[in-house]
Amino acid sequence: MKILFTSLIVAFAICTSWAQELTLQGKVLDSDNQPVPGASVKLSGSDASTTTNADGTFKIAVADGYETVVISAPGLKTQKIFLAGKTSLDVSMKKGKESDDGSSSGFGTQSKSEMTSSVSSISTDNVSPSPLINLEQSNQGKTTGMFVQNSSGKLGEGTTVRIRGGSSLSASNQPLYVIDGVPLTSGNQSNINPSNIANIEILKDASAGAMYGARAANGVILITTKSGGSGKMKIDADYQYGISQTPRKLDLITPQQYNEQVIEFTLRSLSLDQHITKERLQGWAAQTGPDRDIIVLPGTAGTVGMPNFYDSLIYNTDWQDEVFRTAASHRANLSLQGGTEALGYFASISYTGQEGILIGNKYDRINGSLSLDSKISEKLSAQLNVNYFYSKDFRLKEDQDLGAPLQAIVLPPSDSYNAANNYQLIVRSLEYNPLTEINFSDNLAFNNSVVANLGLKYEITDALSLELNGGADYNASRQEIRQGPETRDGSLTGRSQYGEQNIQNYIFNGWFNYEPELSGENSLTAMLGVSYQESQALSDYRVANINSVSDLQNLPESNPLLNVVDIPGQASRFVSSFGRVNYSIMDKYLFQFSGRMDGSSKFGNEYRYGFFPAVSTGWNVTNESFMSGITPISFLKLKASYGLVGNTPDDDFLYRSNYFNVRYGAAEGLRLANLSNPALKWETTAQLNVGLDFGFFEDRISGSVEYYNKTTTDLLFPVPVSQTSGFASVLKNVGSMENKGLEINLSTINFENDDFSWSTDFNISFNKNTVTDLGGADLIVGVNAFRENESAGVFYMRKYMGVSQLTGEALYDNGVGGTTTDWESAPRQIVGDPNPDYYGGLTNSLRYKDFELSAMFQFVGGADLYFETGEFLANSGILNLGQLSTQYDRWYAPGDVSDYPALDPFQENTFPSTRWLQDGSYIRLKTITLSYNLPATTVSNWGMEYVSVYIGATNLITITDYTGYDPDVSYFDPLDGVIGQNISRGIDNFTAPQPRIFMTGIKIGL
Amino acid sequence: MKTLIVKKTAMKYLRLTAIVLSLGTMISCESLLDIDAENTISGDILTDEASIQKVLNSAYYNLMGIYDGANGGELLGGDFKLIPTLLSRRNANEISWDDVNAPPYSDFIDKDILLTNLRVEANWRRAYEVLNAVNNILLNLDNIADATAKARIEGECKAIRGILYFEMVRLWGPQYEEGGSSLNVPAIPLITIPIITVSEIKTPTLATVGEVYAQVNLDLTSASTLLQPFGKNGVNISYYACEAYLMKVAMQKSDFEAAELHADNVIESGLFSLVANPLLAFNNNSNSSEDILAVQQTQANTTGDKSTGTGLTNHFSSLTESGIGTMRILEFSLSSSFIDNTPFFSDVDIRGMVDDQVDEQTRATDITTAFYTNILNTSAISSSKFMTADKVIPVIRLAELHLARAEAIFEQTLDIDATALDDLNAIRTRAGLTELVVADFGGDPYAFYDSLVLEKTREFMYEGILFHDLKRRATYLDGIRMANNDPLDDKFILPIPQAETDTWTD
Repeated sequence: MKILFTSLIVAFAICTSWAQELTLQGKVLDSDNQPVPGASVKLSGSDASTTTNADGTFKIAVADGYETVVISAPGLKTQKIFLAGKTSLDVSMKKGKESDDGSSSGFGTQSKSEMTSSVSSISTDNVSPSPLINLEQSNQGKTTGMFVQNSSGKLGEGTTVRIRGGSSLSASNQPLYVIDGVPLTSGNQSNINPSNIANIEILKDASAGAMYGARAANGVILITTKSGGSGKMKIDADYQYGISQTPRKLDLITPQQYNEQVIEFTLRSLSLDQHITKERLQGWAAQTGPDRDIIVLPGTAGTVGMPNFYDSLIYNTDWQDEVFRTAASHRANLSLQGGTEALGYFASISYTGQEGILIGNKYDRINGSLSLDSKISEKLSAQLNVNYFYSKDFRLKEDQDLGAPLQAIVLPPSDSYNAANNYQLIVRSLEYNPLTEINFSDNLAFNNSVVANLGLKYEITDALSLELNGGADYNASRQEIRQGPETRDGSLTGRSQYGEQNIQNYIFNGWFNYEPELSGENSLTAMLGVSYQESQALSDYRVANINSVSDLQNLPESNPLLNVVDIPGQASRFVSSFGRVNYSIMDKYLFQFSGRMDGSSKFGNEYRYGFFPAVSTGWNVTNESFMSGITPISFLKLKASYGLVGNTPDDDFLYRSNYFNVRYGAAEGLRLANLSNPALKWETTAQLNVGLDFGFFEDRISGSVEYYNKTTTDLLFPVPVSQTSGFASVLKNVGSMENKGLEINLSTINFENDDFSWSTDFNISFNKNTVTDLGGADLIVGVNAFRENESAGVFYMRKYMGVSQLTGEALYDNGVGGTTTDWESAPRQIVGDPNPDYYGGLTNSLRYKDFELSAMFQFVGGADLYFETGEFLANSGILNLGQLSTQYDRWYAPGDVSDYPALDPFQENTFPSTRWLQDGSYIRLKTITLSYNLPATTVSNWGMEYVSVYIGATNLITITDYTGYDPDVSYFDPLDGVIGQNISRGIDNFTAPQPRIFMTGIKIGL
Repeated sequence: MKTLIVKKTAMKYLRLTAIVLSLGTMISCESLLDIDAENTISGDILTDEASIQKVLNSAYYNLMGIYDGANGGELLGGDFKLIPTLLSRRNANEISWDDVNAPPYSDFIDKDILLTNLRVEANWRRAYEVLNAVNNILLNLDNIADATAKARIEGECKAIRGILYFEMVRLWGPQYEEGGSSLNVPAIPLITIPIITVSEIKTPTLATVGEVYAQVNLDLTSASTLLQPFGKNGVNISYYACEAYLMKVAMQKSDFEAAELHADNVIESGLFSLVANPLLAFNNNSNSSEDILAVQQTQANTTGDKSTGTGLTNHFSSLTESGIGTMRILEFSLSSSFIDNTPFFSDVDIRGMVDDQVDEQTRATDITTAFYTNILNTSAISSSKFMTADKVIPVIRLAELHLARAEAIFEQTLDIDATALDDLNAIRTRAGLTELVVADFGGDPYAFYDSLVLEKTREFMYEGILFHDLKRRATYLDGIRMANNDPLDDKFILPIPQAETDTWTD
């Protein structure tokens, strides 16, 4: 590395050359020949820029008149013009999208024609006006290579994001998020105000990711927030109101059907099975009068009295209506943007308040942001960005925990509750009513976060600049849980919990950009920099059986009631140097070499450093002279890249032995948390990417096709070891995994004139994940598994084979071609895959005069889901609770043909099997919006820039075969940690659906 | 030319900066990358007395089974009582185990223990965690400057190792039979050197029953000597606990002479005394006068209860505040002649009384009997031995030493010895029973022996002791039955977990 750096420095010294200075003058007009003020005029390949005056004129210094000028303005199509020696220039701009202004590539920007790596962009106008509160959710289906899956429809819950498939088993598979140059360790990306985002870039291949080296294996998402403008102050304000509801209700058995089930349960408990038929049960349950609880068995078999509680089963409760509600949401935004060349500013404040569709769930957030950019002198400019978030989340219990609201759906429909008696059930009083939990407990989460950065840019010469920036990412969260004496967990005394986490993450970057003027039409840019990042996390968690969180906080450490759980702090540092060289020959042949050397405190002395190089190349076919006659092809480019990127474990100190505090009686103890493993090292992902970018008919049709092959080696995997070590498994670098895929992007402008336009954006991504080597081991968690030669998290369970017509017992595949009624002995098999085969989105945007209609469909194909909710709602066993109405058609008597086994009052387990494995493919109308822009003439009379009103809906229609609430689901227990999230995929366990939201709003610009 | 100078200066600056940065990265990295977080303790910490003492405290924490997650091992504070109890009782006849709420324990009451049983694996793993910790301390004893502290810590570590290997070989191995073939049966890995890094984990070899007992004797004898100067040694393992355990080991080996000697060393010390009423031996905030070793629980650090869904309290208590009463005891079995080893409680026996006036509001402090109606399943009863999880759980009580000494004397004399009879009466009278005299046995010393066995059955129900007694008695007495089976049947031996054997590669 030292040699590389030194030679780069020498290269700088040699290549720097002189050029005389000229001035370019000109005027920018729009299609109506009106001057365009405030348009940006930039010299391509340098940072020289200016803006047009009120009369549309501009002046800018150029070196020799053989440069390319880029002119852009809001609402107008960006133009790139080669000066060819001219020193004056008049430009006429067409209406359209600002485009190709260059994508951020990490430490610099590149235009589409310069780009040789794989980067997807999501531009700002796509981000609004979705009412979804978290950024990942609102970008679902927007671009190729990014799969977004919601863990639950509860507000403020996590989201699973996979860039080109997961590449790790035990380390995080979430991409690295970088906000304004600050790589996050806090999870703050979910909280950023979507309306403050200028653009989002997704770095997918190794060549793009190499700039983030050891943390880029899962892709990098660069988020750039809005910054200052120039010219007069622009004020944008918007308000949105929404109504959310559950998109679906499950079909559950009726009170009468439940009462039949109670009779069946009782008779089968008494081994009177032979008297049962569906028709007889219906008859007995329909009996009225004082003897309705006496069953007369057919023939002379006598009578059976029902249990005492049977007589009280007279209610009709729709438990779904008890826990679901129609919820309101509000969102308001106000932003200011403007400035002069010396100082540009952007400031915004916004409020989001959303109620969840499950009672008790609510989320409030305030965002504030400030951005300043200043050209302090000819040579020095500075930029400051501050984003602040505060949120308050009224949370619900974890889905699988007793008392989670949606669990109410298993309660008997012919039972009810008494609100005056702690919401206890009237008949089945031992069953826990989630309404008790909701009404007698508080579960609050607070979050205070700041992401800020300050950047300085110094133009040392025309060709050489130095950029320095420092950033901070700070997140303070706390959770307060109180469960009253009325609740199950807090019974008699009450129970309170208090948790706190503080994450502090600082980064300092410095880099040189070198862009000499080369002879001919060749160009060279080089970048060389260093980075230092430090991240710390401190947590505290305490619990006691008392009925107040503030009392809990006041308990002295010595109080015997208090349990303080010791959570060791985390801290890590990255010290890195990185460089990138781009060389372009006649804008036809492009080459990029990039690399990063990372030193990380997460590993032992011998394995601290990792070098992650990448190389990529591109061929702008359309710039070849032989293409000049082929007018239908407006843009054609081939590109390829190959490189290495890394992944580090989430835990910071795994290489050494760690201890944590425990207490035995009055004595403080230190317990070993892990054995030292100085041989731990990075996971390494090698990725090959080849792609084709194209545009036809003046880019009326444009798009790209990309193929990639990612191989991850040295996977960190918990390898089972002899427990004589005191541990069941230890983390080691074993095994490998592969992701291969194809991504297609297509944008078409189907029709365009002054009154009407219609454009379509389509994207689809295919990914195939295979765990290729685990050193012979495997890992099974519930119904999911990591196994060799299968996709990560593949479904592994018994195969359900229907019902014995004779006995009504469930049948399972015995593995040797037959069936068995013994669940235990049936072998588990690979039966499905929670990873999608393909996913994507389709957006149609139509504009007719002042009306705009946008409809975005999002789809996922070939992903299986495990409907664990159904498993419980068909537990025909000893709990004798509510069921799905499909289960009413179960087996009752010999000869019955049914898909569902007989009710077994002695059955203790729910017996997971493929009975509840379903195809989770779906197509969803994710958002639809109809906007009306008030005519410009009217609005300007009011002194406004624009006014638009809209109505829309989110998750309006979902087409799926899945029978649960929502196929966009992947519940995992947060306590299961990263491995749990990686392996427990596609599980629906009393998980709330994504809400269907109807919204309306107004946007005003001054 | 001015700009040229600026440019040259800038170049110089750049060159310097770049070199400094790049070299700086490489050189200063080493120190920059040595970061630590607040509130972390790591690396080789067994370097002074204070740290070593803390690691020893965590060995107690683990040994006593303080809650370690839903699938945590419980050792002395839980499963080493519950598993033998379930193995020695018949399902549906004596106990109606709630296998919906505590399914992993069904294997024990059903006498069909799967290699994959979660409880077997949990206790196996945690036991070796304790052993690794004490082995590590024993290797680093020289880092303790103070000779007195060093002796005490060495004694406690050896005692922990001896006690744990004794408990493990009894559960995972066949019963010790002096001169019999069981002594040569490979049972469990016997590890006395610590594993410190991941690369040191190897496939273990199994030591025979004889080898494990030899190590147990060695450790406990050495520990006893080392701890003798420290009296009752607080709530930690003392000389007396070592002597009591040496007595248990001797009894298990049918070495009655040694057993009597060790029992005498504790009883005659006068430091312990029987509590006035057998119920007072349980649910205490601190050790009772008859506790020789006991598990210390506080409200915040428990072996588990209803809130964790684990532990003795969760299973034994059916009180709303503390448990779910999965141990549903069938009352008729307490005096049924159809059941093996039934206690036959008389009406006046304090240890057999049942309170049926309980409901969901009943608190532990309201219970003043040995049993009460199971609140969640009123057709069964619950034992009041482990009612709430903030109380002390006895591991060895003086009562056990009295009855063991009486038995040991009897086995040596085959006669009704006065000391032995006093020992028996001491346990009887405080339970509300009459004092027996020699004449009561009609001149049959074996009637006295039967009386001793019955008294032990009554006194130590659900404490995990009777199971091991039945096994040792079966080595020299005919007709001993346990849950309708021969106590020496292999079905009463815990398997080495499959999760362990799956990792054995060589």
